[in-house]
Amino acid sequence: MNTPFLTGRVALVSGAAQGMGAAHARELARLGAFVAVNDRKPSDQLTELAQEIDGIAVPGDVSDRSAVEAIVGRTAEAAGDIDILVANHAYMTMAPFLETEIADWWKIVDTNLGGTLHLIQSVLPGMRRKGEGRIVVVSSEWGITGWPEASAYCASKAGAISLVKTLGRELGPEKIIINAIAPGVTDTPQLAVDATAEGVSLDAMRAAYAQQIPLGRIGTVDDIAEAVAFLCDFRISAMVGQVLQANGGSTRGRA
Amino acid sequence: MTDPSQPSSAVPVAIVTGTASGIGAAIAAELQERGWGVAGFDLRPSSGCTLSFEIDVTDLEQVERAVATAEAQLGPIGAAISAAGYYEMTAISEVTAEQWRRMLAVHLGGFMHLSRAVLPGMVERGAGSLVAIGSELAVGGGGTGDAHYSAAKGALLGLMRTLAVEMAPKGVRVNAVAPGPTDTPLLAADSPWRHPDYLNTLPIQRLASAHEVALCAAFLVEQGSFCVGETLNPNAGAVI
Repeated sequence: MNTPFLTGRVALVSGAAQGMGAAHARELARLGAFVAVNDRKPSDQLTELAQEIDGIAVPGDVSDRSAVEAIVGRTAEAAGDIDILVANHAYMTMAPFLETEIADWWKIVDTNLGGTLHLIQSVLPGMRRKGEGRIVVVSSEWGITGWPEASAYCASKAGAISLVKTLGRELGPEKIIINAIAPGVTDTPQLAVDATAEGVSLDAMRAAYAQQIPLGRIGTVDDIAEAVAFLCDFRISAMVGQVLQANGGSTRGRA
Repeated sequence: MTDPSQPSSAVPVAIVTGTASGIGAAIAAELQERGWGVAGFDLRPSSGCTLSFEIDVTDLEQVERAVATAEAQLGPIGAAISAAGYYEMTAISEVTAEQWRRMLAVHLGGFMHLSRAVLPGMVERGAGSLVAIGSELAVGGGGTGDAHYSAAKGALLGLMRTLAVEMAPKGVRVNAVAPGPTDTPLLAADSPWRHPDYLNTLPIQRLASAHEVALCAAFLVEQGSFCVGETLNPNAGAVI
């Protein structure tokens, strides 16, 4: 068993009302961190999660720079400068490339990639004051492999990986260590949305994806959360600018 | 969180190779810190392990006998980590047949032998975790003098990925850690990797430590439940 290695740390997790983000928040809290949970809008879900883990809810739209400044400011007021950022928020719609609405394209890119930029720019001054930091950007297996009818989403998630590689080089000398995680297909509320869109049952959707995965199942949010927590471990600085691929072995066709 | 790699015995048991020093010793120490019993395999005595076996991992029979003895004394093997290895720089035109053969025998053969010896039991129990220690020189490619080392480590990673896909349906996860230059006795005091000119090119501006590599290996063993065929890269940012 590993030790609770995040005791005394202050973390901010975006996109945390449900699914993976909520699991990351619970795992970081379990390992000792104070966690501020963000999602686009205030909700009972977000408030209850914050109460459950003795953290705070800091709702706000990450694609809006001033909203992000406020989110970071409220977190710092409550618990001090942020040590750990988990940029987990995401927005996606799927459509054939030529049918993708231009407005929707930019909403996806501005939320996923732009939101990550705003969050990182906003937490950096605090991390610099502390002299160290950990940033985990949640990308996607699709950001590595691409996926039909998900061009904007895949571009945004691939962009996130390039951002991580660049900032790994740029921020590493300051002991601010950034890495990405690229989860494979994971059992989140988004899967139910996809199943409805495909006109199949949720179980059929899970089974169809599981067939493509050597481990024989899709991921759980806890699978991904334990890997995110690993990337937040301040005892490890030598892993920097990397992409941890947690995908059950769907290794074929990936870079 | 439940750990599928751990058998139901009271103390989980791991085999680690290359435990006399460096990365192997650090992995053995980290796992023992977390409550594992560790059987260490090395040519030299492994002072920090629950059980120490002085064997040569290039010999399949020796590995199989040691695994059987370890299992009899400690219990079913839940994890096996192949860290036995060595590094030498030799220009490609100077690499002798013997140097080439030995490099492959220790790194690729050592992992293959360990896998052969522990997998039947893991597959029978439907649980286990294998970790191969690769190298950044096989991920990003080596430099001058690294031909035989990077070829052996590249082959090791190829074997790891194939085993991962083959074993995942049977409940055994196979993954790798590919460290960059690490501060261990394996790295000569006059190695170019220790020169400040080189260290200053690294994003973290220092070598990786054996403890950092050990924390990565321990993650793959104890957590990493959705990591299959994955390579973690604690390389100080040498290859991004």
